[in-house]
Amino acid sequence: MIRFENVTKVYDPNARPALDAVNLEIDRGEFTFLVGASGSGKSTFLRLILKEDRATSGSVYVAGQNVANISSWRVPKLRRGIGVVFQDFRLLPQKNVFANVAFAMQVIGKSRSIIRETVPEVLKTVGLEGKERRMPHELSGGEQQRVAIARAVVNRPGILLADEPTGNLDPITSMGIMGVLDKINQNGTTVVMATHDDDIVNEMRKRVVELRNGVVVRDEAKALYTSMIPVVGESRRMKDASDAEIDRAQGVQQ
Amino acid sequence: MRLAFILGEIGSGLRRNLSMVISVVLVTFVSLTFVGAAGMLQMQINQMKGYWYDKVQVAIFLCNDSSTSTGCASGAVTKEQQDNLAKMLDSPAVKQYINDYQFESQADAFKHFKEQFSNSPIVDSVTQDQLPSSFRINMKDPQKYQIISETFSSQAGVETVSDQRQVLERIFEWMNGASVAAMVVAGVMIFCAVLLITTTIRLSAFSRRRETGIMRLVGASKTVIQLPFILEGVIAAVVGAVLASGTLWLVAQFWLNGDLSQQFLNTPFISSTQVLVIAPVLIALGGGLAGISSLLTLRRYLKV
Ligand SMILES: Nc1ncnc2c1ncn2[C@@H]1O[C@H](COP(=O)(O)OP(=O)(O)OP(=O)(O)O)[C@@H](O)[C@H]1O
Ligand SMILES: [Mg+2]
Repeated sequence: MIRFENVTKVYDPNARPALDAVNLEIDRGEFTFLVGASGSGKSTFLRLILKEDRATSGSVYVAGQNVANISSWRVPKLRRGIGVVFQDFRLLPQKNVFANVAFAMQVIGKSRSIIRETVPEVLKTVGLEGKERRMPHELSGGEQQRVAIARAVVNRPGILLADEPTGNLDPITSMGIMGVLDKINQNGTTVVMATHDDDIVNEMRKRVVELRNGVVVRDEAKALYTSMIPVVGESRRMKDASDAEIDRAQGVQQ
Repeated sequence: MRLAFILGEIGSGLRRNLSMVISVVLVTFVSLTFVGAAGMLQMQINQMKGYWYDKVQVAIFLCNDSSTSTGCASGAVTKEQQDNLAKMLDSPAVKQYINDYQFESQADAFKHFKEQFSNSPIVDSVTQDQLPSSFRINMKDPQKYQIISETFSSQAGVETVSDQRQVLERIFEWMNGASVAAMVVAGVMIFCAVLLITTTIRLSAFSRRRETGIMRLVGASKTVIQLPFILEGVIAAVVGAVLASGTLWLVAQFWLNGDLSQQFLNTPFISSTQVLVIAPVLIALGGGLAGISSLLTLRRYLKV
């Protein structure tokens, strides 16, 4: 479904590459966690799938198609096959729950009757029955993220990309969101989720791809957040970790 | 569905940026009014040329009792002098340049004068012998006026040789100058209009970046994303163009063909229907400029 062949992405020629010769294949229907420290290249990985950015070298294949060969006027078609969810939900504040989800169908020309039929179904899938008329500010963070997920999957994409979808949520709410993503995955959608959330990764026991400084350092099925095979030892890990992660780690200790 | 959606987006965009949209309407209105005015002046010049060029003649004015020029020192033109001039006009040397000529007596001149100024009090203060008699010449080639002038101005009994065409040319030159000035003002105003449209579209794109970002992610086509912004600019500009056309029509209807035609009875003014020919040009110009400048702005400020 998604294949990276020797993909390198350089934003700034003077800095190290954001992705460095990444080779990876994600099959149809798989659920994959993308983990790694801040700045390790997780979001860049997702952006390349969406053709939001171009790979500096190497090829990205989505559904068998090299995205570099997709002309700009066919990029929308590529994106219709991919749903995206972000940490900050990105709902339209003036539209209610129903309208936010319907928006994704309106802009690609779906008919009113299909919208009226599909949106309640999808809202049910994400567990938001009866909340159609609520405005985003009348919802909890978890509920807002459910709306965002509903919007991402309402056009039935084959792939769902989630960039730290639980980053703003407490652990219990996060588990609820994971339940929704898992259900969507069970229905056949390929899910790729970038995350820092070790509890979730450990709980779900799915495939884990770990990036460090743009390099894939681990690719393990049914894995935990941290490798069970210690790479070189804790001191090495701390050296490579970003300041933010060190701060976070120290915060936990205090 | 998509059309309804695009229309809805345009509506909300126009409402959200109402003050900017109104200023775009006003600036295009004023600039296109100047463009239209320049066009109307050109039409008026053509109209007057067509009407007068076949009519205008070179006139050889003969001395009368009140003539003061040096050629008239011996008083009013005599019958003999007049016959001599007519003979010269018939001679092959002159004849090759002219189509025909008529003699206009003082009585004829007075009649024409009365017609021309029928509703002006000046008629009462002019008497027949104050007006000169003249030969009216239709030139084969109006440019050859100089030859006639040189041949006749020094003849006895000739007060002056005048080329009416030259007088007209001066009027046309003046009108042409006015239309060029209107074009220059229009150019500056159009530049302002383009800048304003650009800024408006930029603001509009910025204030709706959340929507357009989501549209992009869920795979809305470039057209669906951009069209509402472009049409927003185009609609504002077209409204301005329609206002400009309306204004020019009112000017033609109630000023040119009202007041002015009362004052200048012999001038063929362009009709208000003729002015309507300008309207589609203005609308296309306004809409086109707005469309192009919105498109270029979006290319820079709205990622699709
Ligand atoms: N648009 C950009 N221009 C320049 N550099 C960028 C850009 N986007 C990302 N980078 C750089 O690329 C590297 C990888 O960034 P990326 O956003 O992919 O990391 P990440 O793993 O998603 O981090 P986080 O967990 O903090 O979201 C970083 O060093 C970042 O500074
Ligand atoms: Mg990121």
